[in-house]
Order: sequence, then structure tokens, then C-alpha cells
Amino acid sequence: MKSKKIVMMMLALVLVLATVLTGCGSSNTSSTSGDVIKIGFLGAKTGGHAIFGLGTLTGMKMAVEEVNAAGGILGKQIEIVEEDHGSKQEEMATITQKFVERDKVVAIVGDPTTGGTKTAAPIAQDNKVVLISAGSTGPGVVEIGEYIFRDTLLDSVAAPATMDYVVNEKGWKNVALITSINNDYSVGLSGIFKQATLDKGGKIVIEENIQDGDTDFSAIVTKIKGTNPDVIVFSGYYTEAGLIMKEVRRQGMNDIVMVGGDGLQGEDFYKLGEEAVIGSISYAGFSPEQPTAVTEAFIKKFQEKNDNAMPDLFSAQGYDAVMLIVEAMKKANSVDPVEFHKTLAETSNYEGVSGNITFQANREPLKSPVYLLTVKDAGGKLDFGLLKKVPVK
Amino acid sequence: MELIQQLINGITLGSTYALIALGYTMVYGIVLLINFAHGEIFMFGAFAGLFIVTVLGISNLYLAILGAMVFSMGLGVLIEFIAYRPLRGSTRLSALISAIGVSIFLGSLMVLIRGANVTSFPRKELFTMKNIEFYGLSISNLQIAIILISAILMISLQLFVNYTKIGRAMRATSMDGDASILMGVNQNSIISITFAIGSGLAAAGGVLWGLNFSSIHPYMGLMAGLKAFAAAVLGGIGSIPGAMFGGVFLGVAETLGIAADLSKYKDAFAFAILIIVLLIRPTGLFGRKISKKV
Amino acid sequence: MKNLIPENYAVRFIFFLLSFVALYYFLKGLAFAINDNYILTILTYMAINTILALGLNLITGITGQLNLGHAAFMSIGAYTGALLTMKMNMPFGISILAAGIMAALIGVLIGYPILRLTGDYFAITTLGFAEIVRVLFNGMEFTNGAIGISGIPRHTNFSIAWSIAVLVIILMVWLNNSRNGRSYMAIRDNEIAAESMGINTSLFKIQSFAVGSFMGGVGGALLAHQISFIKPDMFGFMKSIELLMMVVMGGLGSIPGTILGASLLTMAPEALRVFADYKYLIYGSLLVVMMIFRPNGILGGVNLRQLLDFSVKKKNIERKNLSN
Repeated sequence: MKSKKIVMMMLALVLVLATVLTGCGSSNTSSTSGDVIKIGFLGAKTGGHAIFGLGTLTGMKMAVEEVNAAGGILGKQIEIVEEDHGSKQEEMATITQKFVERDKVVAIVGDPTTGGTKTAAPIAQDNKVVLISAGSTGPGVVEIGEYIFRDTLLDSVAAPATMDYVVNEKGWKNVALITSINNDYSVGLSGIFKQATLDKGGKIVIEENIQDGDTDFSAIVTKIKGTNPDVIVFSGYYTEAGLIMKEVRRQGMNDIVMVGGDGLQGEDFYKLGEEAVIGSISYAGFSPEQPTAVTEAFIKKFQEKNDNAMPDLFSAQGYDAVMLIVEAMKKANSVDPVEFHKTLAETSNYEGVSGNITFQANREPLKSPVYLLTVKDAGGKLDFGLLKKVPVK
Repeated sequence: MELIQQLINGITLGSTYALIALGYTMVYGIVLLINFAHGEIFMFGAFAGLFIVTVLGISNLYLAILGAMVFSMGLGVLIEFIAYRPLRGSTRLSALISAIGVSIFLGSLMVLIRGANVTSFPRKELFTMKNIEFYGLSISNLQIAIILISAILMISLQLFVNYTKIGRAMRATSMDGDASILMGVNQNSIISITFAIGSGLAAAGGVLWGLNFSSIHPYMGLMAGLKAFAAAVLGGIGSIPGAMFGGVFLGVAETLGIAADLSKYKDAFAFAILIIVLLIRPTGLFGRKISKKV
Repeated sequence: MKNLIPENYAVRFIFFLLSFVALYYFLKGLAFAINDNYILTILTYMAINTILALGLNLITGITGQLNLGHAAFMSIGAYTGALLTMKMNMPFGISILAAGIMAALIGVLIGYPILRLTGDYFAITTLGFAEIVRVLFNGMEFTNGAIGISGIPRHTNFSIAWSIAVLVIILMVWLNNSRNGRSYMAIRDNEIAAESMGINTSLFKIQSFAVGSFMGGVGGALLAHQISFIKPDMFGFMKSIELLMMVVMGGLGSIPGTILGASLLTMAPEALRVFADYKYLIYGSLLVVMMIFRPNGILGGVNLRQLLDFSVKKKNIERKNLSN
């Protein structure tokens, strides 16, 4: 009786397995025809990080359209394979696996977050597929292997440049540092900000922690007020940033401003913070103001296609990621990642729409310039505006 | 000075916890079910307030609170009718799982309607902020208003439960459901009324929350709801003064925890307190013993 | 069938070991035959989810203690396994085992006090415990905080995961039919009655909690060695709910049901990626609908044997109250 039950269970299992295999096996397997080159888009189209993913995808689509209109690359058209992982680690790994196995992509653009890239990169590396992250800025990404790249402005470059401005030009030496403890981006960036502050001659007077999703900041602001800092450095995202500044003003600290990374750049920053965030400083590798000729052309095209909306950092970097791959393929005269990952690594002084890109010997990008942005009040309407252009190197 | 300031911060936070905790306590006292969806009702109440102000254009704080309360009362009764009433005879496990289902459903429904992002709550239109400064302390008139409104709501609830006929019926149902039916209490309507009152208070809490932190989002119900539940258990589940005390205590504990350089572990305080209370005094500080029936 | 299994315990053990080795190589062959890493990845997740869900099923479905913090044991296992493999260079097998033992130990430590609590309080305490674990992992140094641990060797594969899953399934069936299993069910159906029948309820509750947590730990470690990257937010409340959903969907307390639930919910996001937005909406409403209309799950009350044996057909399908 007992063993019979086990046998039944096994049978059931095999049945389930069989259905899965037939179910999965029947869906598109005949995609390996040689006329199209496939590039995978890895990112979230829904959920918390959807803004990053959707921005990247828009940029990628523009780049692909342009390349295809110009006759493709080496006589072949490019096609984007897109999937939505909804910011779930298991899904990221499965989707990357699917790109590699099923869709036979030659390259993957994504994920916009550092954590997601770390999940996907080992799979791409093992299968010898090029992966360019158009958003990850934290440490430990390109070290995964020679097929892994990114085209972003690194925090380790931009944060020191920003702190140099804050500490030495503005003379704000006493820094209150706030970290969002459950946000990997913030934890990583806080370490860099801390080091940069000390290197530039500043002093951290207080370190506080919040969490993404918090709304009550009264207690930490009261604490910060007690230490009387010159400036608040916050390494997290725009939502909490706006709310913190609002509380800062409510408790009567009327002159202090916030300094942060590119995580502050979402319109929610000034929508939530309102006049409390005017004067806040953050950095970016891309700004629509004072554009180069290439960037200006990109903005114009983007606006034509997207109802006059301004492109954001992620669409510019998504666009550049595809273009970098195309350039590398042209140079290698091959669409095989085993060949073109080498030429991609040799990219030097590429004039991208998101800035000048050079891959260093360790494949880390060097981008110039760093844009310092600030929130400006333009006739009652708040928006990010250019504060300063800082060349790198 | 800073400590007193932190106490004020804590009491403001705590009074919203207390408003939510009351709903948990009342429902648990009567149907012996953790209304898991209560946090989501609180969230829906906040969004109802937002709707009243931004879409209907009514910029009056009291009307916004009232409207949100009425909406949430309906929602609470509806939830009870759909998800809990059919399960009244079945195991507590089933009812609890159903409650969790409702909570997840409502949370993701709001994400679909409004997106997962944080929405700014129109504080300016409802309230003119003024800071009262004395001896280096800064208290806003909003903080005082929140504490006052919470206190008024809680005291009127206490009066209602103790001195009205319906209140007496509620207490009877809570003491012994079957016996109260024999005494002529309509149990179904009493349960509905309980859900309505609890949900209404949660909605008021939601609007005050939005006002205080000037932002609301679809996931705010989960964490706030859980903490409020911890507050209800701390005060002794089923006890109305207990829930008030528990809420304020928890708010103050969290704020003082941050003041004591433990901001990293802030979200763990409520649950650590919950577990400790359950282990040392499972009936809470003001609770009465609920004996197990065979 | 019965006489196939020898009487002598030593022989029995060797017999068992041999069949396990045979199973492993059979699965390896199967993996070679499938030869599609995408499908193999999904099947591996299916095995991991089966292990996790069976652990939860033991605690919630069979012993009747609603555990809303199973993901916490998963995370304890995942971190233990990952740190042992990476920092101490432990062999994979030992890491997995240690991960399970660690989760079980912490399960006993936390379970000993909180299992005295009745149903609802227990549920909320497990939830609170899971939050505490997440906050601690976020705040502590050795877990690398929110940045998480990356570069975990990807040791888990299809054949290892399914070998362990089959082992767990056999263990569960055996446990379910043993004296202990009957005690668990007695506790679920009526704790006070069980106690008066002489069942040491607290002992058996802790036992079931420990075994369930053990499986949570093993599943978590397997997952860590599959994804190669872990961070505390992967093991939040929603993960616990997803695991609960697997158990509830297949049928609380039913082992075949749990396996079915785990398999279906692993495949669902792949097949229905269009509905990704509505996932939790569907989960939420399904929990309510299942509780009202089919509290025994899809397979609840349906006997597998009757389904397969066509001569009996659907004659005696009866709805039993929350049992397999």
C-alpha cells in the first residue's frame, strides 16, 4: 500500500514533467535563422523598478530602428527580444537563461540595477554572450567576466567629483549622511560618499539609516538637527529624498540642502518634496541641457517619437548600449560575441549620446563629463537644471 | 530637549498606530479573527481621502476624513460579507488564509489603479501648517491636531461601546456569541457594525497619516497594519484602552529606538516587542484571559 | 511490491542508497536528453519550490500551524549555505546539510516559545519573526547588508535538485503515515482532544516545525547555489505568501497536491508572463475563493489512485475534511 502510493506519486511527477516538457518544447524553437541578430532586453517593465527598465527599452528601440533603417549590420537586421522580470531574482535568472538558450541572442542589454546585473551576468559569461548593463553603477559587476560591460557613469567617479564641489567650492564641511538600509544601491553609494567626503577634507558628523518605503522621518531629522550639519548627503532614491527634505524644512532647518546620487533624479523628488528640495544637488552622466551635437540630435529624434517627452538617463544609456554593440560588431566584422566582445572592450572615446565613453583595461567605463544638477524653480514649476559640468580625467 | 522633541514625534506616530489598532482589537474581540485586511482598509481610507480632495475638489479636512470613513465602512462590511461570513463555520486556519488573501488582493488592486509609486498627499489644501516654537522645541499645529482628533475618536468609541445599546450588544457578542444570540442579539448585524466602526477608524488613521507624512502609497497598509496589530496585542487584544496605550507606546518606542542609534533595526522593534509580550504576558497589558473551549 | 523491499535494516539501507544513486544517474541522463538549459532551469526551480512547499505543508497543512514566515528559514538556509561554500570552502553537500540544520535549530529555538501560542497568534508571530530576520540580515556586516552576496558557485542543477526533492517526497510520505504523522494531524484537527488522548502536543509541534524549517533551509541553500546571488529582500513577506499559495492551491495537507501546486506556480509566471501585473491580484482572490469553495485544494479529496485506475473511475470521490 505504502510503496504503491510512492509509485503513484512518481507517476504523477513524471506526468507533470512530461506536460512541462511538451508545453515548453512546442513554443518557438525555430528562431536560429541567420538573417536577424537578436539582442535581449533584461529589465522590469512592471513593478518597483519599471521606470528604469522602460526607459532603457525605449532607448534601445530607437537605436535598433535607426540601425535597421540604415540597412542593418553586416547585412542583417537587429531584433530586440524583450521580457519582463518584475524585479524578481528568480525571473531574472530564468529569463537570461531563456535569452541564451531559446532566443540565441548575441548580446543582452540590462539589467538597469546592480543586483539584477549580478544575477544575470554569470549566465551570460558562462554562455559567452555579451551583456551591457545600461544602469548598474555599484561595484563588483564587470569583474564577473570579460563578456560583461556597462556604459554608466560610475559612482566611484562621480561621487568624489560631487563631494569636491560640495566640500571645497561650497565649503560645506560637516556632512550628515543618510543611507537607505534595504536598498543595495544606497548602501554601496554611502560607502563611496563617506570615503569621498573624508578624502576631500570634509567630516561626517552623523550617519543615519532609513528604509525604502518609510514615510516617517521625524525622529532621524530631529537627531540630525541636533548635530547641526552644513549639508545632508542621502544616497537613496528620490521618493524618500523628497519626504526627508520636507521633514527637514518642517523642523525648521531652512537653509540646508540635500546632495545625492543619480537616484535622486525622478520627478517624484520635487513632486513630493516641493519647494523643500529647491537647491538640492545630484549628479548624472546625462543632461539635456548644453548638449553635444550627438546628444542634441538624439533629443530631437526622441521628442519626435515620444510626444515631446525629454529623454532620461536610462533611455540615453539604453540607446548607447545598442550602438556600442553595433560599433563593436562592425569593427570585428562579425556578429559572434566571441569575436566582438574583444573589439567592444577596445572602445575608446566613443561619442555616445549619454557622454563620452571609454572602456578601461578592466572594462570599467570612463565617462566624461559629470553633470551636477540642481532643482530649480522655473516660474513656479520645479525641474532639474544644470548646475555645473565637471570634466573627468 | 531633543528627547522631549522625540517623545512628541513618537506620540504623533503612535496615535495613528492606535487608530488602526482599535479596528484589530474590536474585530478580534468579537469574531476571534485577525482581520489581516485591516491594514489595506487603512490604505484605501487614505486614498479615499486623496480622491475626495483632488478629484471631488473638497478641501476640507473634516469632510475628507468623514468621507474616507464612510467609504471604508462600506469596504469593511463588504469584505466581511464576501470573505469572512461564508467561513464562519469552518476552521480558523481557513478564515485566516482568506483574510490574508483579501489583504493581498486589495494591496495589488491599488497598485493596478494607482501604480506602485508614492503619491503626494495634498497637505497644503487641507491644513495651514504652523510651527509652534518654544524652548528649542518645534511642534506643529498639525501634530497637535492629529493627537487631538485621534483622542476624540477613541474616547467617543469608548463611550459608544460602554453606554449604548449596540455597544452593549457588541460586548455581549464578544463575551459569548452563542449566549448573546439567545438573548436576542442579531449577531450578523453586530459583526457588520463592528467591521464598519473598525474600518472607519482605520480610514481616519489613513487620512491623518497622509496628512502627517504628506505621502501615501499602496504598500503602506502592510507594515503599518502589522505594527498596529503588535500594538493591539501589546495592550491586550479585545481591550480598547489597551489598543490606545499600545499604539502610543509603540510609536514612542520606535522613535526612542532611533534616538538611541538603532535606526538600522527600526522595523524589528514592533515585532520584538510583540514576541516578548506574547511570551511573558500573552493576554497583553490590559487584556482579559480568553479560555480555550473544547 | 512489498516483498521487493528486504526485511533486514542494513540491507534495506544499502538498497535505498543504491536506488538513490540510480535515481541520480537517471536524472542526469534525463537532463542530458532534455538538453535545454532554459527548461532545466525551470525544472530545477520546480524541485526547489517542491522542497520548500513540502516543508511548509508539514507545518501548516499537516500540523495545522499557519506559518507566515517560511521565507525566513529559506533565507537562513540560503545565507548559511552560501557563506559556508564561499568562506569556508565546504563541499556542496555539507553546505546544504548545514543550511538545513541551521534552519532547523533556529526553528526549534524560536518554535519552542511561540508554539505555545494558539493559531492566529502563532501566525502573526512567525510573520514578525520573518521581518526580524530580514531586518537583521539587512543590518549586519557578515551578510553584506542589502548589497547581498554575489558570486555564489552555481552548484545546484537539475539532477541534484530533483534527487533531493524525491528524497524529501519519500520522507514526507513516510512521515505522514508514521505514528508521528498521525499525531500531527490529530493536533491539527483538535489540539485539546489530541492532548487528552495522551499526545505530547508541544513536542510534536516542535518536531514538525523543525523538520519543516529544515526543508526550508535546504530549499533556500539550493536556491542560493542556483541563482548565485542573494539579498535579504528576496525573502520577504511576499515570498512566504507565494509558498503558502503553493500549499493552499494543491490542497492543505495533501502531498501530491503540494507538489502539483509548487509545479504549477513555478510554471505559471513563465507561461503567463502577460499577466505578471495581475499576479498578486490573482493570488489574493484565489486564496479567498479556494478557502470558501475548495478548502481542500484542487486535488483535495480526490484520490490519485482512483484517477489513474480506470476500473474504479469516479465512483467514490468524496470530500474529506482537510486531509489527503
